[in-house]
Amino acid sequence: MAGFLSTLRRIYLSLYNWTVFVGWFQVLYFAVKALREGGPTTVYDSVERPLQLAQTAAVMEILHGLVGLVRSPVSATLPQIGSRLFLTWGVLWSFPETRTHVLVSSLVISWSITEIIRYSFFGMKEALGFAPSWLLWLRYSTFLILYPTGITSEVGLIYIALPYIKASEKYCIRMPNKWNFSFDYFYASIVALAIYVPGSPHMYQYMLGQRKKALSKSKTA
Amino acid sequence: MKVTVVSRSGREVIKGGIELHDEATVSDLQEAIHARTKKYYPSRQRLTLPMQAGIQGKPIVLSPKKKLVDYCDGNVKNLTVVFKDLGVQVLYRTLFFWEYLGPLVIYPIFYYFPVYKYFGYEGERVVYPVQTYAMYYWCLHYSKRIMETFFVHRFSHATSPLSNVFRNCAYYWTFGAYIAYYVNHPMYTPVNDLQMKIGFGFGLICQVSNFYCHILLRNLRNPNGNGGYQIPHGFLFNIVTCANYTTEIYQWLGFNIATQTIAGYVFLVVAALIMTNWALAKHRRLKKLFDGKEGRPRYPRRWVILPPFI
Repeated sequence: MAGFLSTLRRIYLSLYNWTVFVGWFQVLYFAVKALREGGPTTVYDSVERPLQLAQTAAVMEILHGLVGLVRSPVSATLPQIGSRLFLTWGVLWSFPETRTHVLVSSLVISWSITEIIRYSFFGMKEALGFAPSWLLWLRYSTFLILYPTGITSEVGLIYIALPYIKASEKYCIRMPNKWNFSFDYFYASIVALAIYVPGSPHMYQYMLGQRKKALSKSKTA
Repeated sequence: MKVTVVSRSGREVIKGGIELHDEATVSDLQEAIHARTKKYYPSRQRLTLPMQAGIQGKPIVLSPKKKLVDYCDGNVKNLTVVFKDLGVQVLYRTLFFWEYLGPLVIYPIFYYFPVYKYFGYEGERVVYPVQTYAMYYWCLHYSKRIMETFFVHRFSHATSPLSNVFRNCAYYWTFGAYIAYYVNHPMYTPVNDLQMKIGFGFGLICQVSNFYCHILLRNLRNPNGNGGYQIPHGFLFNIVTCANYTTEIYQWLGFNIATQTIAGYVFLVVAALIMTNWALAKHRRLKKLFDGKEGRPRYPRRWVILPPFI
């Protein structure tokens, strides 16, 4: 019974990782194609569907961590997925004025390269039981460049969106109401920006530590 | 006897060890370590017996009141203890005082002073009776907490790491301001009179019950005692292990029924989750300790914290 369940888990996770891999591969492919054909302003429209699907599917990973299907701590995945969903739905989809900005190109390219490497890494481990050492190296090295480019793109796009957020009053809840609650999306976005200040160095440090552990372990293995 | 003090990595913390007389207590050892190291006062020291290779489980912590010989496994002339620095410590009394003082001061500021002007709300605000009662209720609650900290609670471990001061104050002070902002808001919408009375009435009953629970818990502990565990009993403790947390949670529910803010309910849920974690650990500890074997009583079947759920 235990063996059957663990095989089921492997099949499920292999399917999951490779499916999302294909999604991100499409994002990168359409992004590069759009850049060459129409330029940076056309990138968003080309990648919108695969981007939304692949990024939203990542919510499953929170579930996987909660039920114990994977070992990753929920505390590490939650802020990462939170910021991704905020950008994908809360900024780009909600405020079309931001879609033609050049930072959209750097954003989707940074994200898609990172995720292609990550999902193929996990996809291989689940399906084949191992991942080649070059893929391991890529997974724990590309972040050195892609974290700064991705984070800069995220912060930049949120900042660009601020005037549109303020003017539109979208997602705002005003008082009076019977639950005595209010929500201001503009100020919430500013808080989100502020979180990047301690959050980014923290994530980068965490990855540096993971890199050290992973790459030294493979040397001795 | 000679006591060897090592760190968890095996390095000797006190070169050459410490010589103590055979009847010495753990507390004497802690004083001696402090004398040799200056920096590590007793409440900062965590002393455990070395883990046996291959044997799982948590290390045995040395209890200050016990004698060192009680921890020797045969050789009463030599003992090795593992030392861990717990970091800068503050008294629990100090920690609680500062974390509770924040809400006690911050909330009335939103009630009495024209702070909403700075949020863009000009002009006089109408104050409803429920907002006044809410302020009294809130201040009564946190005054009670501070009073209990100094006159009622008996702490098993007298200190807590300094970092908890920042963490706990952030939690209490932020939530205090968050709730105070909404309840005292110029555009606050009060509930009907009956709901308000039910909320505050129920809340007050729970606050009094909570106080009684704290008195009962205090009397469980012997003032010069060994801080050992007893099976809590009396009043609501006969049916629920952490009746003190139960009454605290229901007390906040009363406040929220009367004031009806999302902010208040968010606080209630977060607080309930935190207390439930503590309650589960306590319940588990008591069940493990009072297992009914070797003459020990067996821990009775009880709710953990929130009947009828858990």
